[in-house]
Amino acid sequence: MKFNFAHQASQKAVLTLAMALSGLAMAQAPAAPAASAIPPTWAQGRTAEQAALNLVPHPPGMTALPAGDIPTDKLKVPAGFKAELWASGMPNARSMVQSPAGTLFVGTRFPGNVYAVVEKDGKREVKTIAKGLHRPNGVAFKDGSLYVAELSRIIRYDNIEANLDNPPAPVVVFDALPKDEAHGWKFMKLSPDGNYLYFQIGTPANITVQPVTHAVIVRLNLKTNILENVATGVRNSVGMDFHPVTKELWFTNNGRDWVNDDLPNDTLHRVTRKGMNFGYPFCHQGDLLDLEFGKGRSCEEFDKPVLKIGPHVAALGMRFYTGKQFPAEYKHNIFIAEHGSWNRTKKTGFDVVRVALDAKGNVTKKEVFVSGWIQGDDFWGRPADVHMMKDGSMLVSDDVAGAIFRISHSK
Amino acid sequence: MSVRISKAIQGMAFFIASLHADQVMAAPDAVAGKAKAQVCAACHGETGVSALPGFPHLAAQPQLSIFYQLLQFRDQRRKGGGMEAIAATLSEQDMRDIAAHYASMPAPAPVAGGQPEKIARGQQIAQQQYCSSCHGAQLQGQKHVPRLSGQSSEYFVAQLRNLRSGARADMDGTMASAARSLTDEEIEAMAAYARSLP
Repeated sequence: MKFNFAHQASQKAVLTLAMALSGLAMAQAPAAPAASAIPPTWAQGRTAEQAALNLVPHPPGMTALPAGDIPTDKLKVPAGFKAELWASGMPNARSMVQSPAGTLFVGTRFPGNVYAVVEKDGKREVKTIAKGLHRPNGVAFKDGSLYVAELSRIIRYDNIEANLDNPPAPVVVFDALPKDEAHGWKFMKLSPDGNYLYFQIGTPANITVQPVTHAVIVRLNLKTNILENVATGVRNSVGMDFHPVTKELWFTNNGRDWVNDDLPNDTLHRVTRKGMNFGYPFCHQGDLLDLEFGKGRSCEEFDKPVLKIGPHVAALGMRFYTGKQFPAEYKHNIFIAEHGSWNRTKKTGFDVVRVALDAKGNVTKKEVFVSGWIQGDDFWGRPADVHMMKDGSMLVSDDVAGAIFRISHSK
Repeated sequence: MSVRISKAIQGMAFFIASLHADQVMAAPDAVAGKAKAQVCAACHGETGVSALPGFPHLAAQPQLSIFYQLLQFRDQRRKGGGMEAIAATLSEQDMRDIAAHYASMPAPAPVAGGQPEKIARGQQIAQQQYCSSCHGAQLQGQKHVPRLSGQSSEYFVAQLRNLRSGARADMDGTMASAARSLTDEEIEAMAAYARSLP
C-alpha cells in the first residue's frame, strides 16, 4: 500500500498526526531514510512497463494562434451545420459564461488571464480584464458581477461590464479552499436559483486515498458563505450544468490514468439526491474496482454514472442544448467538449460529442458532433468548453489555439 | 553584468526594429533564429554553451522549453538575468525561431571530473525524486520540459533553490512540490550529476 500524498492538505494532516503521536514516535524513530519522494502527480499509479510507453501530458496551451493560422476549415460538423472562427487571440481560452447583456467572459488555467469578448458596432473585440490570477479557470455571472474561481479562492468583480477597460479590484468571496495544484483548477456554475456557486475540488493526484475535502463537488451559499458537499467520490469534474427542466445537476468526470488504453472511461453523471458517492478512488466508471484501492470494496457500494463517455477522452465542459436554432432532435441534448487524451497510445477525443436523452433522462445516443482538431497524431487545438448562445448557436473554446469557434445551423 | 545586459537590450531593440512584424506565424525557423539570437550570445554563448558561470546553456534544449520560458519572462511570470526586458522586445515568432536555433545546436559537453561520489549521490537523489518522469531518462528534456544534462551547475542550483523558496514559480506546481523537501546538499549533488550527463 503506497500513500501517494503529494499534496499540502494531506501533508498537513500527516504532520498533525505526527505531532499528536510525537511522544510515542520520537523515542523509537529510526534514523530517517533518504526521503522517499513522490512522483509528479500525473505519473502516480504508473507501472514500470507503462513508463516505457513514454506517455506524458501534453504541453499546456500558452499562446494564441494568429487568426489567419487557425485551420477552422478542418473542423467537421454534421450536414446543415457550419463551424466558423468567432474570436481569437486569447491564450489558453477555457471556461465560458455570458452576461445577459451579451459579454462573454472566458477563464484560463495557465496564463492567469480572464478575457471579455464584446460586440460593438458589429465588431467583436477581445479584452484582457484580469492578469496574474492563479488558475482562474472558473467563471460565473450574477447581478452584474463576474465571479472567478481561482485555484484556492473565489473572487468577484462588481459592475464589471461598465468597467471592462479598467476593472475594479476584485472582492474576495471565499478563500479557504485547498491549495493543491493537481486538479485544483475549478469549473464553476451558478445554480438556477442564483443562490449557489457549484464547483469541484478535484483529487490531488492521479489515484490516491484523498482527504475528505477532495474529490468532491461542492456548492457555496452566496448569502451565508457556507460551503457544503453536493457529491463525493468524484475524481475531477471540469464540466457541469443543470438540466433545463428538472434542474438536477449533471456533470462530467475524468477517469484515472495508468490502467490501460481502454479503461477506465470518463463518465457523465446525474445528481438525483443528496449524499451521492460516485466511487473514487475505490471504483471507477461504476463497475471497475481499482486494482490497488478497490481491494475489499464493491462497486455496488457506490452510485453509477449515466454514461461511459470514452477512455482518456478528457471530458471537460458540458452544457444542455436549450436553444431553438438546431433541429428539434437536439432539444435538451448534452454537448461535451473532449479535450483529448495523453495517457493512451492512440490519441482519442479532441472533439465535441452530443448525448441525447429520453424523457426520463436515460441516454439514448452518443455521437461525435464536431471533430477535426486532430489529424493523425498531430493536434492543432483542444476543445475545452461549450456555451449556448441566445440565438441558439453554440460556442466552443479551444485552449491550444486560444480561440472560440461558433457552430450554427441553417435550414 | 548589468552593463552587459543593457548592451544586449540595446542591440536587440536595434535589431528588432529592422525586422518586419509577421502577421502570419510561420513554423519555427532555426536559420532565422540564428540571426535573431545574436544578442543572446553575449550571455548564453554563440552556440548556446555559456562561458559565464550561472548562465544556462541553451544548446540542445527542447524548442518548446525555450519558447515557453521566453513567454514567461515576457509576461513577468518568471524573472531574472534581465530576461524580462529582453523577452519584451521579442515577437512570439522571434521566440520560436530563437528556440529552434538553440534546439538544433549540439549539446554541451558533459563535465564529470573528480567527484564520482557526489555524482553518484546526485543520481540516487534524482531517481528518488522521479526527475526522469518529466525530464527524460537521460534528463535530456522533452516537449516543454527543459534539458538538465550538461547544464551549468551554478544555474541548476540557483533555479532549484528559487523553485524551493517560491521565488521562481513553475508552470503547474510540479517543481515546487518536488523541490520543497530538498536540502542544499542534495541540490548540489543533483547539479553535479546533471552536468555529468551527455
